[in-house]
Amino acid sequence: MTAGIKEFPGTSLKESDFEEGNVLFTTWTPKAEYAWDAGVAIGRYLAELKEGRIIGVRCRHCRRTVVPPRNFCEWCFRPMDDWIALSDTGTINTFSLCYVTWDMKRVEEPEISAVIDIDGTKPPVGIMHLLGEVEPDDVKIGMKVKAVWKPPEEREGAITDIKYFKPISNI
Amino acid sequence: MSILEKVDKLHHAIAWHGDIPITSRYTAGIAGERFFREIKDHGRFLGTRCEACALTYVPPTMFCERCFAQLDGWVEVASTGTVFTYTVLHLDLDEKPLAEPDILAYVRLDGSDGGLIHRLGEVSPDQVEIGLWVEAVFKPEAEREGSILDIRYFKPCSSRGRCD
Repeated sequence: MTAGIKEFPGTSLKESDFEEGNVLFTTWTPKAEYAWDAGVAIGRYLAELKEGRIIGVRCRHCRRTVVPPRNFCEWCFRPMDDWIALSDTGTINTFSLCYVTWDMKRVEEPEISAVIDIDGTKPPVGIMHLLGEVEPDDVKIGMKVKAVWKPPEEREGAITDIKYFKPISNI
Repeated sequence: MSILEKVDKLHHAIAWHGDIPITSRYTAGIAGERFFREIKDHGRFLGTRCEACALTYVPPTMFCERCFAQLDGWVEVASTGTVFTYTVLHLDLDEKPLAEPDILAYVRLDGSDGGLIHRLGEVSPDQVEIGLWVEAVFKPEAEREGSILDIRYFKPCSSRGRCD
C-alpha cells in the first residue's frame, strides 16, 4: 500500500539529533510493574513445584490426566475432577538444540530445550523444559529423563525450581 | 475441582511478578520546538495567529483548529495572563500529604486565545481567585533547558496597571 510513496510526511530524527541537542525532548520511564494472578490451577501447580512435586489434573469423563493443571477440560468443557500427583520423570517427546540466547547472542554450548511427556499423564502430555547432564549428540526422542530440582531453600514456586531434566540411565 | 473452588491456603495464592522496561522520548513537534526554544533563549512566549479567524494560539499550533488553515504568522505573546481556573493540591502523585499545598492553574495569556497550565507561586491558596492577574517567573537563562519547567511558576502582578 505504501510502495508508491517516496516521501513520507513528518520530520525524521537521528539519535545524534538528540545527543547534540538539535531537538528539544523529554523522556519518561513508566513504572510498568505487574502481578499476574496465577489462579487456582496454576497457583497450586507452582506451590507444589516449590515442594518438589509435579501435579496434574484429571477429567474422569474424558479419562485423561494433564499437566499443567487447568480448571476446565478443554475437550468436554467440564470442570476438572481430581488433582493427581505425577512423578518427576518422563519421556522426551521432542527436543531442540539452541545456539542463541533469548536476545540473539551466539553461544558455543547449546541449550537443549525439550518437551517432556510427564509420567502419569494420559494420554501423554508434556511440559517444556531444559535437558542437562547429557551431550547434545546423545539426546534421543523417547529417552527417559528425571527432574533435577534446586535445593528446597532456593525454590520459589516457579517452573525454574526444576533446574533441568537429565537422562535416567545416568542416575 | 469445581468452578466454585477457592484458594483457601495462603501459599496457594500465587501471583507472578514482573516489570516491563519502557522508556519513551517525546519531542515537542515543529511548533512546540519553536515555542520552547523561545522560552529557553529569550524567556518569552510565542503564539501563532490565524488572521481569518482572528485567533492567537498559545501554545502555538501549525493549523487553525477552526478553519484548518496552515499558520505561519508567529507573534510574541505577553508573559502575563489571568487565572481562568485553578485547583489546590494537598497530596502528591503517591497520595502522600504535601508539606505546602501546590496550586495549579490554567492561565489565559493576555492578548491570546490560549494559555498554559502551570503552578502559581508567591501566593497562598486563600488569596487565589478566578480572574487574578499573574505573570510568568522564568528560571535564570543558564538553568533553562527548553521545557515547560523553565517557567518556575506564575505569580500575582502587583497591580492591574503595572507588572514587573
